[in-house]
Amino acid sequence: MTVTETSALPPPVPPPVPDTAEGVVNRWSRWSDWLNPIVVREVQQALKGRAFVLSVFIALVVIVAIALAVASEFDPDSSGRDAFDAGLATLVPLLIFVVPMLAYQSMRHELKVGMVEQLMLSELDPYRIITGKLVAAMVQFLLYVSVIAPLLATSYLLRGVDMPTIGISLMFALLFCVTATAFAVSSAAQSVVPAMQGIANLTVAVTLAFASMAFIGYVGSGEYARDVSWLVRSDEMLMVVSLFVLGGMVSCILSALSAASFLAHAYENKSTGFRVFLFCIVVVALGWVVLFVDARSVPEVNAVMLFVLLLIGTTFGVFMVTEQKELSPRVQAHVPMRGSAALLAAVFLPGRQRGMLCFVVYLAVLGGCAAICWPMLHGPGITARFADEIRRISLFTAGYAVIYLSIGTWVRARLPKSVSGNHLARFAVPIAVLLFCMVPALIDVFVRGAVQHWHFGHIMNPFWTMGRYADRERGDEIVVYLLVFAGALLLVQLPSLIGGVREVLGASARRRDRVRQVAEEAGAE
Amino acid sequence: MIPPLLEVSNLDRRYGNVQAVSDLSFAMERGQVTGFVGPNGAGKTTTMRIVATLDIPDGGDARVDGLSVLVEPRTVRMRIGYMSDQFHPYPNLDVSEYLDFFARAYGLRGKNRLDMVRSVSDFCGLSGLRRRPATGLSKGMGQRLHLAKTLLHDPMLLILDEPASGLDPRARIEFRDLLKELATAGKGILISSHILPELGETCDSVVVIERGRRVVSGSIADIQKSVQHEQAVVLRVLGDVEAAERFLLTQPGVSEIAVEGNRLRFDYVGDDAAMSGLIARAVGAGIEVVEIARSEADLEDIFLRTTRGHVQ
Repeated sequence: MTVTETSALPPPVPPPVPDTAEGVVNRWSRWSDWLNPIVVREVQQALKGRAFVLSVFIALVVIVAIALAVASEFDPDSSGRDAFDAGLATLVPLLIFVVPMLAYQSMRHELKVGMVEQLMLSELDPYRIITGKLVAAMVQFLLYVSVIAPLLATSYLLRGVDMPTIGISLMFALLFCVTATAFAVSSAAQSVVPAMQGIANLTVAVTLAFASMAFIGYVGSGEYARDVSWLVRSDEMLMVVSLFVLGGMVSCILSALSAASFLAHAYENKSTGFRVFLFCIVVVALGWVVLFVDARSVPEVNAVMLFVLLLIGTTFGVFMVTEQKELSPRVQAHVPMRGSAALLAAVFLPGRQRGMLCFVVYLAVLGGCAAICWPMLHGPGITARFADEIRRISLFTAGYAVIYLSIGTWVRARLPKSVSGNHLARFAVPIAVLLFCMVPALIDVFVRGAVQHWHFGHIMNPFWTMGRYADRERGDEIVVYLLVFAGALLLVQLPSLIGGVREVLGASARRRDRVRQVAEEAGAE
Repeated sequence: MIPPLLEVSNLDRRYGNVQAVSDLSFAMERGQVTGFVGPNGAGKTTTMRIVATLDIPDGGDARVDGLSVLVEPRTVRMRIGYMSDQFHPYPNLDVSEYLDFFARAYGLRGKNRLDMVRSVSDFCGLSGLRRRPATGLSKGMGQRLHLAKTLLHDPMLLILDEPASGLDPRARIEFRDLLKELATAGKGILISSHILPELGETCDSVVVIERGRRVVSGSIADIQKSVQHEQAVVLRVLGDVEAAERFLLTQPGVSEIAVEGNRLRFDYVGDDAAMSGLIARAVGAGIEVVEIARSEADLEDIFLRTTRGHVQ
């Protein structure tokens, strides 16, 4: 941003000579320029808030009590470990309940009083707001850890626990703290929809409380320290730690995307972030398999990972195909101007036809990865039965996904062109699955007296069909029927899919024309 | 050619079945203070939110300094300062920290930020309150803080939605003086308010809307001329007021007579010559005329004459 001179305001009075304290504040204020403003404000608020002061006080009291207990019943073999367990158990509720709840309350307050809108008018966008809150959670994590640090140091000096265990524990604690905060902030952002407020309050409070209790129990029982000690010495440490780190990061990014989409206006582009994220997790997941998984398990893990990615893509697909059809004016104004770039960007831009196209491209990417990995599945150590089963289940899932997403698109086209129409269509997809599972079964009950066995009427029941045919000879035949039907549905939608791309190309051409027109006008002047 | 500071063209906005704004167009020039007037539910806040890039129209566009709020919202945001009708500061922050946070949010850095925070604090009379909790301010001081926050990035257009709402008379006068200073400093101000006499003192022009449509717009002087074909006249007499009332009832162009003690208020249609004839006839009829005066239509009159009080 270019900040103009402040000439419009009356000239500032000469700054008074700052006293030492104010000088320090001013210096800190300038040094903190590079920080996200949300971080500065959240930390300032937290440090002055009663919740933080009270929680630090309680933590200090608990730590002193633990130290006294350890000193009074000192045992060289177990006291160090006991102190570590007790210290970590004290830290858990602070990091998994207090910090996320403070972030939740802060977000709720900002939404309730319209402060988020005021922030949107500044240089802060939803992503920076959410990132700021997560970084603020990390700063609070450091403050709480510094409170508990003397106890952790004591447990180390008493030889109850080694440095790697402390290090990994703190890393996990940070990961869980930030992930829980991302979840809380995302839930708070969802409460911008009035109907979601009660649900969000309840979900966050119950989930965080339950997670805290479960972790306190796990850490307090001593199981945690034993598990981490084993992990530190295990060959699988890198794999497990990287899985946790990547899982936590992916959860945080997804929560941030979700929160940002609720904070942004209905006409803003909320889709591209999710669609890019979908393709990124393919790279991250397969990269993790290649880099961290034991070479002998790679084919098996790869196959399962591709199937999991297919399920994730289908879930995203439900959201992608139930969006409004047209590009909003604000999105149209930011379509790439170059035709080729617009063509490449089309699948990432909002709109249900482009959503369906994005899902088809995603299936093609997964199919390509599966084709590359396929020879590995027939290598040593992998049974042919496992290879066939995972292949059939994946193909069944892809076929059903296309069919049910097509139903979602069809339903969305018949609902009002509003955001509530999107939400209704999203609920319609699982309801359609439920109906196609229930109705044939009910017909069986009324006509034949009972649901005796699978027949063709149950073909739209994905769970029963897959369960029955995933490992049988006739499975391939059913899969082919299903894929042909799914392909036919895609062919029927082809004109509208092309229409979705043409809309993007049209918006791109209009932008080019506008730029040319402005240039001509400038030249004429 | 320099574009107008604000140009609203054919704006439409619908919420469900309610047409909040309908084909609304108006413009304001740089350094102009424009009153945005209309009954409750007329579409003032919706229009202001669209101009502030917080809402998006179903049709039409608004341009700030030639930039479309639809196409370039981020650039527009750096040119506007929007003061909503609600002010809820952050808890656990003092006035200085509150302004510092927003200065950071607007991308001000280093000495520039510190100077700007000090400058707007002084301008808005908050210098003595810098360490006071932002939530502990009176309504008047809260509005000053709200205005100070709006001025931090030195916007060229201020959009003020009911800024004087809920203020006591002294705070209103002080706030009005601040706006006058800003107008003198060259800021364009689009201001909505229900306190019309004060708007009349602050504004150069006015846009009156009702049911989302523009009813009248232009400079207050021009609108006064256009709506004032019926003049409000006050006649003070000695003696028989009823005789004076009977006389007025027989005169052409006179209507809506109201008696208040020895004063008679009435609406009169006619030019200066006709008014002179009326006075001469009154004296001739034995009415003891002490004083006769025509009252100028103020913003309140304009508002009442041009709107019907329709609520959506």
